[in-house]
Amino acid sequence: MMDLPRETAPAPELEERVVSALVAAGLVRRRRVWPAWAVAAAAVIVLVLGVTVVRSRHPLARGNSYVVLLYEDSTYRPPPGGDNTERIAVLSRWADSLETHGEFERAGRVVGPGELGGLFIVRAADDAAAARIAASCPFKQWGGHIEVARFEP
Amino acid sequence: MTDDRALVERFLRGRGEDAFRALYRAHTPALYALALRLTGGDRGEAEDLVQESWVRALTALRTYRAQSALRSWLCGVLVNVRRGRMRIDWRVVDAPDVEPLADAADPDDAIDLERAIASLPDGARDVYVLHDVHGYTHREIAGLLGIVEGTSKSQLNRARFLLRSSLP
Repeated sequence: MMDLPRETAPAPELEERVVSALVAAGLVRRRRVWPAWAVAAAAVIVLVLGVTVVRSRHPLARGNSYVVLLYEDSTYRPPPGGDNTERIAVLSRWADSLETHGEFERAGRVVGPGELGGLFIVRAADDAAAARIAASCPFKQWGGHIEVARFEP
Repeated sequence: MTDDRALVERFLRGRGEDAFRALYRAHTPALYALALRLTGGDRGEAEDLVQESWVRALTALRTYRAQSALRSWLCGVLVNVRRGRMRIDWRVVDAPDVEPLADAADPDDAIDLERAIASLPDGARDVYVLHDVHGYTHREIAGLLGIVEGTSKSQLNRARFLLRSSLP
């Protein structure tokens, strides 16, 4: 038998492509519930290491806190030029719109290795409402992916 | 096998993304290597083949019963996906019995061999890759490709003969 390799690593982008195709076909569910350890890690990022950008000045709506995680994965395609100003402005306007309903708590940009680029802590009545808030985040226009999970600081 | 069963059961519990990624990372390098060889080194086609194979595999994953290795089952899915994409001329070709080629210890020899495999006719290449590279038996190949064992043997002989002729 010939001694040729039986394994060859494909391009890393293929994994995201396959996952997206499977999600679109209804064969795989996107992450909806963030593991407890990751929620705890996110809390540490926000409370200790993270860079808080904005804090809410409005009374919070009733319900629970949720973390909306913004991942700059291999599908993330920011506008050319490397200028974050416009993106921050877009996200800030979104946060402002949430704040008027008492749905915004705080936000941060995560600096460091890994795909997690930023996060928002939002207020929602239940999981479904949190998912709707996350789905309205303009971050998705640049690709990447968004996850949302219950957040207990 | 046990790990595969655990991965499959974990995935089937909720069809979660993380569980799938574990399956993907465990088996895609083997699927991609097979796809590359079956497509003659066409990376784009090989990637398409891998993607479609995962779609088919997850659709039918409940039928996987762990009687065979998951990797073999997945490779079978891939081979069938490819067969569905092309028309294969499975004519039996008379060829003398040819022994397997010697191991390609030299990297340059391996590269030459990969190129030679890529240049084989589709039917001969499929059988050669499955038998001599990935270790399938003629019975397994016959089942995977929907041919009789004699055809598998003939195609293998044909492939070996052509490879011997093309390699320095």
